[in-house]
Amino acid sequence: MAENDAPRLIVPPNPLKTKVGVGGPGAVTPEALERAEAVITDLGDDYLKWVEDDLAKLQTVMISLKAAKGDNSGEVKAIFEIAHDVKGQGGSFGYQLMTEIGGHLCRFLESIESANPAEIGVIEVHIDALRLVIANKMKGDGGKAGDSLYKGLEMVVAKVSG
Amino acid sequence: MSDYDLASLHVMIVDDYQPMRHILRGILREWGILKVGEAGHGREALETLKNFPADILITDYRMFPIDGLELAKSVRSGEAGCDPYLPILLITAFTEMKTILEARDAGVNEFLAKPISAKLVYYRIRSMIENPRPYVRAEEFFGPDRRRRSLPITGEDRREVKQETKGLERQGERE
Repeated sequence: MAENDAPRLIVPPNPLKTKVGVGGPGAVTPEALERAEAVITDLGDDYLKWVEDDLAKLQTVMISLKAAKGDNSGEVKAIFEIAHDVKGQGGSFGYQLMTEIGGHLCRFLESIESANPAEIGVIEVHIDALRLVIANKMKGDGGKAGDSLYKGLEMVVAKVSG
Repeated sequence: MSDYDLASLHVMIVDDYQPMRHILRGILREWGILKVGEAGHGREALETLKNFPADILITDYRMFPIDGLELAKSVRSGEAGCDPYLPILLITAFTEMKTILEARDAGVNEFLAKPISAKLVYYRIRSMIENPRPYVRAEEFFGPDRRRRSLPITGEDRREVKQETKGLERQGERE
Protein backbone atom coordinates (compact mmCIF):
# COMPACT_ATOMS: atom_id res chain seq x y z
CA MET A 1 0.00 0.00 0.00
CA ALA A 2 1.39 3.38 -0.98
CA GLU A 3 2.04 5.80 1.86
CA ASN A 4 -0.85 8.09 0.90
CA ASP A 5 -3.18 5.05 0.81
CA ALA A 6 -2.58 4.41 4.51
CA PRO A 7 -5.77 3.98 6.53
CA ARG A 8 -7.01 7.26 7.96
CA LEU A 9 -8.55 7.55 11.38
CA ILE A 10 -11.25 10.20 11.23
CA VAL A 11 -12.77 11.82 14.29
CA PRO A 12 -16.06 13.26 13.01
CA PRO A 13 -18.21 15.66 15.00
CA ASN A 14 -20.77 14.04 17.27
CA PRO A 15 -24.14 15.50 16.21
CA LEU A 16 -26.02 13.16 18.54
CA LYS A 17 -24.27 14.63 21.55
CA THR A 18 -25.08 18.19 20.48
CA LYS A 19 -28.67 17.39 19.55
CA VAL A 20 -29.83 15.58 22.69
CA GLY A 21 -30.45 17.36 25.97
CA VAL A 22 -29.38 16.24 29.41
CA GLY A 23 -31.89 16.08 32.23
CA GLY A 24 -35.11 18.08 32.26
CA PRO A 25 -38.70 16.91 32.09
CA GLY A 26 -38.18 14.97 28.84
CA ALA A 27 -35.14 13.02 30.01
CA VAL A 28 -35.06 9.24 29.86
CA THR A 29 -34.96 8.59 33.59
CA PRO A 30 -35.05 5.12 35.15
CA GLU A 31 -38.81 5.69 35.47
CA ALA A 32 -39.05 6.45 31.74
CA LEU A 33 -37.16 3.22 31.04
CA GLU A 34 -39.67 1.31 33.14
CA ARG A 35 -42.53 2.98 31.28
CA ALA A 36 -40.97 1.92 27.99
CA GLU A 37 -40.66 -1.65 29.28
CA ALA A 38 -44.34 -1.44 30.19
CA VAL A 39 -45.09 -0.50 26.58
CA ILE A 40 -43.77 -3.91 25.57
CA THR A 41 -45.63 -5.68 28.38
CA ASP A 42 -48.85 -3.92 27.40
CA LEU A 43 -48.47 -5.31 23.89
CA GLY A 44 -48.80 -8.85 25.32
CA ASP A 45 -52.26 -9.38 23.81
CA ASP A 46 -51.02 -8.08 20.47
CA TYR A 47 -48.10 -10.49 20.72
CA LEU A 48 -50.48 -13.43 21.07
CA LYS A 49 -52.26 -12.23 17.92
CA TRP A 50 -48.98 -11.80 16.02
CA VAL A 51 -47.65 -15.17 17.07
CA GLU A 52 -50.96 -16.85 16.13
CA ASP A 53 -50.48 -15.34 12.67
CA ASP A 54 -46.94 -16.75 12.58
CA LEU A 55 -48.16 -20.17 13.71
CA ALA A 56 -50.87 -20.13 11.04
CA LYS A 57 -48.24 -19.27 8.42
CA LEU A 58 -46.06 -22.12 9.68
CA GLN A 59 -49.00 -24.48 9.41
CA THR A 60 -49.69 -23.39 5.82
CA VAL A 61 -46.06 -23.84 4.76
CA MET A 62 -45.96 -27.18 6.59
CA ILE A 63 -48.83 -28.42 4.43
CA SER A 64 -46.91 -27.32 1.30
CA LEU A 65 -43.76 -28.97 2.61
CA LYS A 66 -45.51 -32.29 3.10
CA ALA A 67 -47.12 -32.09 -0.34
CA ALA A 68 -43.98 -30.99 -2.19
CA LYS A 69 -42.55 -33.43 -4.70
CA GLY A 70 -38.80 -33.22 -5.22
CA ASP A 71 -36.91 -30.15 -4.07
CA ASN A 72 -38.54 -28.61 -0.99
CA SER A 73 -35.77 -26.17 -0.10
CA GLY A 74 -38.13 -23.23 -0.74
CA GLU A 75 -40.54 -24.45 1.94
CA VAL A 76 -37.63 -25.13 4.34
CA LYS A 77 -36.37 -21.59 3.83
CA ALA A 78 -39.87 -20.15 4.35
CA ILE A 79 -40.22 -22.03 7.64
CA PHE A 80 -36.81 -20.76 8.73
CA GLU A 81 -37.83 -17.15 8.13
CA ILE A 82 -41.02 -17.48 10.18
CA ALA A 83 -39.32 -19.45 12.98
CA HIS A 84 -36.67 -16.76 13.11
CA ASP A 85 -39.32 -14.10 13.71
CA VAL A 86 -40.81 -16.27 16.46
CA LYS A 87 -37.36 -16.60 18.03
CA GLY A 88 -36.86 -12.84 17.92
CA GLN A 89 -40.17 -11.94 19.58
CA GLY A 90 -41.06 -14.39 22.34
CA GLY A 91 -38.57 -13.31 25.00
CA SER A 92 -39.63 -9.66 24.79
CA PHE A 93 -43.13 -10.66 25.93
CA GLY A 94 -42.14 -13.16 28.60
CA TYR A 95 -42.37 -16.18 26.28
CA GLN A 96 -38.71 -17.19 26.54
CA LEU A 97 -39.60 -20.78 25.62
CA MET A 98 -40.87 -19.57 22.22
CA THR A 99 -37.48 -17.93 21.66
CA GLU A 100 -35.68 -21.14 22.72
CA ILE A 101 -37.79 -23.49 20.59
CA GLY A 102 -37.80 -21.09 17.63
CA GLY A 103 -34.00 -20.86 17.89
CA HIS A 104 -33.69 -24.64 18.15
CA LEU A 105 -35.76 -25.07 15.00
CA CYS A 106 -33.67 -22.44 13.19
CA ARG A 107 -30.42 -24.20 14.10
CA PHE A 108 -31.84 -27.49 12.82
CA LEU A 109 -33.00 -25.88 9.56
CA GLU A 110 -29.58 -24.30 9.07
CA SER A 111 -28.10 -27.80 9.10
CA ILE A 112 -30.25 -28.99 6.17
CA GLU A 113 -30.99 -27.49 2.77
CA SER A 114 -34.04 -29.54 1.99
CA ALA A 115 -35.94 -31.93 4.22
CA ASN A 116 -36.38 -35.71 3.92
CA PRO A 117 -39.44 -37.36 5.56
CA ALA A 118 -37.66 -37.81 8.92
CA GLU A 119 -36.55 -34.17 8.90
CA ILE A 120 -40.07 -33.06 8.00
CA GLY A 121 -41.16 -34.90 11.14
CA VAL A 122 -38.61 -32.96 13.20
CA ILE A 123 -39.90 -29.66 11.83
CA GLU A 124 -43.48 -30.67 12.58
CA VAL A 125 -42.82 -31.53 16.24
CA HIS A 126 -41.15 -28.14 16.69
CA ILE A 127 -44.18 -26.38 15.26
CA ASP A 128 -46.46 -28.49 17.47
CA ALA A 129 -44.32 -27.51 20.47
CA LEU A 130 -44.63 -23.82 19.60
CA ARG A 131 -48.42 -24.19 19.37
CA LEU A 132 -48.48 -25.99 22.71
CA VAL A 133 -46.56 -23.18 24.43
CA ILE A 134 -49.01 -20.57 23.19
CA ALA A 135 -52.13 -22.68 23.76
CA ASN A 136 -51.11 -23.25 27.38
CA LYS A 137 -49.65 -19.75 27.83
CA MET A 138 -46.39 -21.26 29.07
CA LYS A 139 -44.53 -18.09 30.02
CA GLY A 140 -40.88 -17.89 31.00
CA ASP A 141 -39.02 -21.15 30.61
CA GLY A 142 -42.25 -23.10 31.08
CA GLY A 143 -41.07 -24.76 34.29
CA LYS A 144 -40.75 -28.55 34.37
CA ALA A 145 -43.14 -28.98 31.44
CA GLY A 146 -41.10 -26.54 29.38
CA ASP A 147 -37.89 -28.29 30.29
CA SER A 148 -39.15 -31.72 29.27
CA LEU A 149 -40.63 -30.26 26.07
CA TYR A 150 -37.28 -28.73 25.10
CA LYS A 151 -35.31 -31.84 26.03
CA GLY A 152 -37.71 -33.91 23.93
CA LEU A 153 -36.98 -31.69 20.93
CA GLU A 154 -33.24 -32.07 21.50
CA MET A 155 -33.65 -35.84 21.53
CA VAL A 156 -35.68 -35.82 18.32
CA VAL A 157 -33.01 -33.77 16.53
CA ALA A 158 -30.22 -35.96 17.92
CA LYS A 159 -32.00 -39.09 16.69
CA VAL A 160 -32.44 -37.76 13.15
CA SER A 161 -29.03 -36.09 12.95
CA GLY A 162 -27.15 -38.97 14.53
CA MET B 1 -24.85 8.01 33.88
CA SER B 2 -26.73 10.82 32.19
CA ASP B 3 -30.44 10.86 31.53
CA TYR B 4 -30.73 12.16 27.97
CA ASP B 5 -33.66 14.00 26.46
CA LEU B 6 -33.98 12.33 23.06
CA ALA B 7 -37.12 14.12 21.87
CA SER B 8 -35.37 16.11 19.15
CA LEU B 9 -34.01 13.02 17.39
CA HIS B 10 -35.20 11.64 14.07
CA VAL B 11 -35.03 7.85 14.12
CA MET B 12 -35.42 5.53 11.13
CA ILE B 13 -36.66 1.99 11.83
CA VAL B 14 -36.16 -0.71 9.20
CA ASP B 15 -37.60 -4.19 9.75
CA ASP B 16 -39.63 -6.49 7.53
CA TYR B 17 -41.55 -7.76 10.56
CA GLN B 18 -44.25 -5.14 11.17
CA PRO B 19 -44.78 -6.04 14.87
CA MET B 20 -41.11 -5.25 15.53
CA ARG B 21 -41.50 -1.80 13.99
CA HIS B 22 -44.62 -1.33 16.12
CA ILE B 23 -42.73 -2.26 19.32
CA LEU B 24 -39.79 0.01 18.56
CA ARG B 25 -42.04 2.93 17.64
CA GLY B 26 -43.90 2.44 20.95
CA ILE B 27 -40.65 2.47 22.94
CA LEU B 28 -39.37 5.58 21.18
CA ARG B 29 -42.69 7.36 21.67
CA GLU B 30 -42.38 6.78 25.41
CA TRP B 31 -39.09 8.71 25.31
CA GLY B 32 -40.64 11.58 23.36
CA ILE B 33 -39.21 10.55 19.99
CA LEU B 34 -42.05 11.26 17.59
CA LYS B 35 -40.08 11.89 14.42
CA VAL B 36 -39.85 8.27 13.34
CA GLY B 37 -39.47 6.94 9.81
CA GLU B 38 -40.32 3.35 8.93
CA ALA B 39 -39.36 1.00 6.14
CA GLY B 40 -39.94 -2.70 5.54
CA HIS B 41 -36.62 -3.38 3.85
CA GLY B 42 -33.36 -1.78 2.81
CA ARG B 43 -34.50 -0.49 -0.55
CA GLU B 44 -37.49 1.27 0.95
CA ALA B 45 -35.21 2.70 3.64
CA LEU B 46 -32.80 4.11 1.05
CA GLU B 47 -35.73 5.88 -0.63
CA THR B 48 -37.04 7.25 2.68
CA LEU B 49 -33.60 8.41 3.83
CA LYS B 50 -33.43 10.78 0.86
CA ASN B 51 -36.08 12.94 2.54
CA PHE B 52 -35.96 11.89 6.18
CA PRO B 53 -33.12 13.51 8.16
CA ALA B 54 -32.35 10.50 10.35
CA ASP B 55 -30.06 10.93 13.35
CA ILE B 56 -30.08 7.21 14.11
CA LEU B 57 -30.82 4.24 11.87
CA ILE B 58 -32.18 1.12 13.59
CA THR B 59 -32.24 -1.82 11.23
CA ASP B 60 -32.95 -5.54 11.12
CA TYR B 61 -30.48 -7.82 9.35
CA ARG B 62 -32.28 -10.30 7.08
CA MET B 63 -34.61 -8.52 4.67
CA PHE B 64 -35.43 -8.72 0.97
CA PRO B 65 -34.43 -7.31 -1.49
CA ILE B 66 -31.83 -5.29 0.44
CA ASP B 67 -30.81 -6.48 3.89
CA GLY B 68 -29.53 -4.48 6.85
CA LEU B 69 -25.86 -4.98 6.10
CA GLU B 70 -26.21 -3.91 2.47
CA LEU B 71 -28.14 -0.91 3.75
CA ALA B 72 -25.32 -0.05 6.16
CA LYS B 73 -22.77 -0.32 3.35
CA SER B 74 -24.87 1.97 1.14
CA VAL B 75 -25.03 4.57 3.91
CA ARG B 76 -21.29 4.41 4.56
CA SER B 77 -20.45 4.62 0.85
CA GLY B 78 -22.45 7.82 0.53
CA GLU B 79 -24.67 6.22 -2.13
CA ALA B 80 -27.69 6.63 0.13
CA GLY B 81 -27.40 10.41 -0.09
CA CYS B 82 -27.52 10.76 3.69
CA ASP B 83 -24.83 11.35 6.28
CA PRO B 84 -22.19 8.61 5.81
CA TYR B 85 -21.47 8.87 9.55
CA LEU B 86 -25.11 8.12 10.42
CA PRO B 87 -25.09 5.99 13.61
CA ILE B 88 -26.46 2.53 12.83
CA LEU B 89 -27.88 0.06 15.35
CA LEU B 90 -28.42 -3.47 14.04
CA ILE B 91 -31.11 -5.46 15.86
CA THR B 92 -31.28 -9.11 14.89
CA ALA B 93 -31.98 -12.60 16.13
CA PHE B 94 -28.89 -13.75 14.19
CA THR B 95 -26.48 -13.66 17.10
CA GLU B 96 -23.64 -15.83 15.87
CA MET B 97 -20.12 -14.36 15.90
CA LYS B 98 -20.06 -14.56 12.09
CA THR B 99 -23.00 -12.14 11.89
CA ILE B 100 -21.46 -9.78 14.43
CA LEU B 101 -18.23 -9.64 12.43
CA GLU B 102 -20.13 -9.11 9.17
CA ALA B 103 -22.06 -6.28 10.82
CA ARG B 104 -18.84 -4.69 12.02
CA ASP B 105 -17.35 -4.96 8.53
CA ALA B 106 -20.46 -3.38 7.02
CA GLY B 107 -19.98 -0.29 9.20
CA VAL B 108 -22.56 -0.92 11.90
CA ASN B 109 -21.97 1.04 15.13
CA GLU B 110 -23.91 -1.03 17.64
CA PHE B 111 -25.41 -4.52 17.74
CA LEU B 112 -28.40 -5.74 19.76
CA ALA B 113 -29.78 -9.28 19.89
CA LYS B 114 -33.49 -10.01 19.63
CA PRO B 115 -35.57 -10.46 21.70
CA ILE B 116 -35.07 -6.88 22.82
CA SER B 117 -35.90 -4.92 25.93
CA ALA B 118 -36.45 -1.17 26.11
CA LYS B 119 -33.50 -0.77 28.48
CA LEU B 120 -31.11 -2.45 26.05
CA VAL B 121 -32.29 -0.21 23.20
CA TYR B 122 -31.63 2.85 25.38
CA TYR B 123 -28.21 1.59 26.45
CA ARG B 124 -27.16 1.18 22.82
CA ILE B 125 -28.40 4.68 21.95
CA ARG B 126 -26.62 6.07 25.00
CA SER B 127 -23.44 4.32 23.92
CA MET B 128 -23.64 6.01 20.52
CA ILE B 129 -24.03 9.38 22.26
CA GLU B 130 -21.32 8.95 24.87
CA ASN B 131 -18.77 6.69 23.21
CA PRO B 132 -18.74 7.36 19.50
CA ARG B 133 -15.87 5.53 17.88
CA PRO B 134 -13.61 7.28 15.40
CA TYR B 135 -14.06 6.23 11.79
CA VAL B 136 -11.54 4.50 9.62
CA ARG B 137 -11.17 5.09 5.92
CA ALA B 138 -9.08 2.34 4.36
CA GLU B 139 -8.80 0.92 0.89
CA GLU B 140 -11.69 -1.49 1.36
CA PHE B 141 -13.45 -0.20 4.43
CA PHE B 142 -15.16 2.90 5.72
CA GLY B 143 -16.89 2.80 9.06
CA PRO B 144 -16.51 2.92 12.82
CA ASP B 145 -13.11 1.79 14.06
CA ARG B 146 -13.29 -1.98 14.34
CA ARG B 147 -10.81 -1.95 17.23
CA ARG B 148 -13.45 -1.85 19.90
CA ARG B 149 -11.10 -1.99 22.86
CA SER B 150 -8.03 0.15 23.42
CA LEU B 151 -5.48 -2.59 23.06
CA PRO B 152 -1.79 -1.72 22.82
CA ILE B 153 -0.55 -1.86 19.23
CA THR B 154 2.67 -3.74 18.71
CA GLY B 155 4.73 -1.98 16.07
CA GLU B 156 3.81 1.10 14.14
CA ASP B 157 0.18 2.25 13.92
CA ARG B 158 -0.13 3.02 10.20
CA ARG B 159 -3.34 4.94 10.65
CA GLU B 160 -3.14 8.68 10.24
CA VAL B 161 -5.37 10.47 12.76
CA LYS B 162 -7.45 13.23 11.31
CA GLN B 163 -9.79 15.46 13.31
CA GLU B 164 -12.16 16.96 10.87
CA THR B 165 -15.64 18.24 10.30
CA LYS B 166 -18.05 16.46 8.03
CA GLY B 167 -17.80 19.28 5.55
CA LEU B 168 -14.06 18.91 5.26
CA GLU B 169 -14.36 15.16 4.97
CA ARG B 170 -16.88 15.50 2.16
CA GLN B 171 -14.72 18.12 0.48
CA GLY B 172 -11.79 15.69 0.69
CA GLU B 173 -13.90 13.03 -0.98
CA ARG B 174 -14.68 15.29 -3.91
CA GLU B 175 -11.03 16.09 -4.57
